[in-house]
Amino acid sequence: MSTDIQKKAIPYLLILPSFALIALFVVYPILNSVIRSFRHPDTGTFTLANYLYFFTDPIQLSNIGYTVFVTVTTVLLTLLFAYPFSIYLRFSNSRLSRWIYGLNLLPRFVPGLVAVYAVMLVINDAGVINRIGRIFGLNIQMGLLHNAKSIIIMNLWFNIPFATLIITAALFGLKASVIESARDIGASKLTIFTKIILPLSYKDALIAVTFVFMSNIGSFTTPYLVGGNAPKMLGIALFDQFNSYMAYERAAALSFIMFLICSISSFIYIYVNLKESKWEQR
Amino acid sequence: MRSPKVQLKRVTKKYANGDGVENINLEIYEGEILTLLGPSGCGKTTLLRILGGFNAIDDGEVLINGNNVVQLAPEKRPTAMVFQSYNLWPHMTVFENLAFGMKLRKMPRTQIKEAIKSMLDLLKMNGTEKKYPNQLSGGQQQRIAIARSLLLKPSVLLLDEPFSALDAKIRMQMREELKKIQAQLNITVMFVTHDQEEAMALSHRIVVMDKGKIAQVGTPTEIYDQPVSKYVASFIGEMNFIKEADGELAVRPENVRICSGNSGNYKGTITSIMILGHFASVHINYEGQDVKAFVARSASFELCETMPVSFELIKYQRYKKGA
Repeated sequence: MSTDIQKKAIPYLLILPSFALIALFVVYPILNSVIRSFRHPDTGTFTLANYLYFFTDPIQLSNIGYTVFVTVTTVLLTLLFAYPFSIYLRFSNSRLSRWIYGLNLLPRFVPGLVAVYAVMLVINDAGVINRIGRIFGLNIQMGLLHNAKSIIIMNLWFNIPFATLIITAALFGLKASVIESARDIGASKLTIFTKIILPLSYKDALIAVTFVFMSNIGSFTTPYLVGGNAPKMLGIALFDQFNSYMAYERAAALSFIMFLICSISSFIYIYVNLKESKWEQR
Repeated sequence: MRSPKVQLKRVTKKYANGDGVENINLEIYEGEILTLLGPSGCGKTTLLRILGGFNAIDDGEVLINGNNVVQLAPEKRPTAMVFQSYNLWPHMTVFENLAFGMKLRKMPRTQIKEAIKSMLDLLKMNGTEKKYPNQLSGGQQQRIAIARSLLLKPSVLLLDEPFSALDAKIRMQMREELKKIQAQLNITVMFVTHDQEEAMALSHRIVVMDKGKIAQVGTPTEIYDQPVSKYVASFIGEMNFIKEADGELAVRPENVRICSGNSGNYKGTITSIMILGHFASVHINYEGQDVKAFVARSASFELCETMPVSFELIKYQRYKKGA
């Protein structure tokens, strides 16, 4: 009898530590901040004012729009660069492509802060590019820093190698003979791409995209260092609410709004992962 | 004389690591199954891929139907290739896999449907049109892969160890089926394998390859009965090599006859007897060398281990030293 109880209890005991950790440090703070987001800062009564603020205040509205714009642009540009790049890395056997493949891993090993400062050093109006230009008597001032452009450039610096890694891994899963047999049958390169490579790899590309989307909605370091004063990315706006205005109820509401925006892409992620195409079923 | 469908002239292709093929001259005739046989790294797949247009050559000519195709990409050649691994497109149904090439050739839809139907009838695979490759067994997938190539009516069908991933029983079945279909459609086939049994069973002619060169070309009977070198002799079937003063005798186990009494020219002692179904394999120690003999099972009952015997060689090849 006692062994029976032991047998049943052991699995629960084993998951208890991690369960407790998640409950304490993830579930409780989330619930807490969701509840807080509906509270009036002074009276503590139920209110929607914290949310209404972000959807009515013109500055906050432009922050939301700005964040979505920067993130979507980053996602699209990342895909635009990473997909063809991955195809090159997969199908070229040249020494150059193998070199680039190795280099592609490098950004993973550079701390984010270092990377941001390094890029700032190159693109700022008195930076490396400007100085090289001066040698030739040119005063190149690209005006790239402290606006959406610099954030997007930085995001691409981080995300293209990341997306490339995921998509390349998927492409390496494609057997050469699958593509060679299509060539043999007379398919052009474009047909091979649209009819063979794309259907067999778009899922991984979508997964890469959702990762890029989520990590950029709430990004802080990059916009903090290279972003402008207004409009701001939501990560910075949240920082302001919390640290400068100490408006904890509004900060909670903004966190929840960011969570909702992210959940669009997490929905895509889950949908893509769960939806087995017919051909993948046994 | 039949006309050659394919001619390879002085074909050379060297890889950086020294592998490849060198100075290959070969003709393939209309309606024959020609097998390239050899151990891995002998260049057989390289040669097949050269014909299919997947490998460029360093030197030589490749003629199909009398036209030089060296400059042509795979899709421009009248060849179709079936690869070693299952390589149906996993995201397409059987029907879509089969129709893909014909669609690219802008064949009308009704014609495509008809062609696929009759091809599936031929392979006894009808009813699988709507299935995806991973719902088929390995043998079925490879059958569809062959069908996919055949539907494009290639001048030459190229098969790169197509059955090597299948289990033994299915492999036998597929061999028979391929042979039947080949005879029915009278297509020209170039087949690559490292399995000598498969080569013997399937081919009209076998090309035995050794380190990028042709060791021997001949019918299965020729290759089996008159191997031109020790290499070919040892590669095909079972073979005893008996050392002599200035060379070696190569004799097949079925050509070693154990004699009654002392009447044989060679004398030795039986070391082991193994019953292998309807025959027995008898190992004889002849002057320190192991000689294998196949004897009928009934005859093996009179033999026992450690028994001194004499034997004679019914048929043998002699190879000089260094050959």
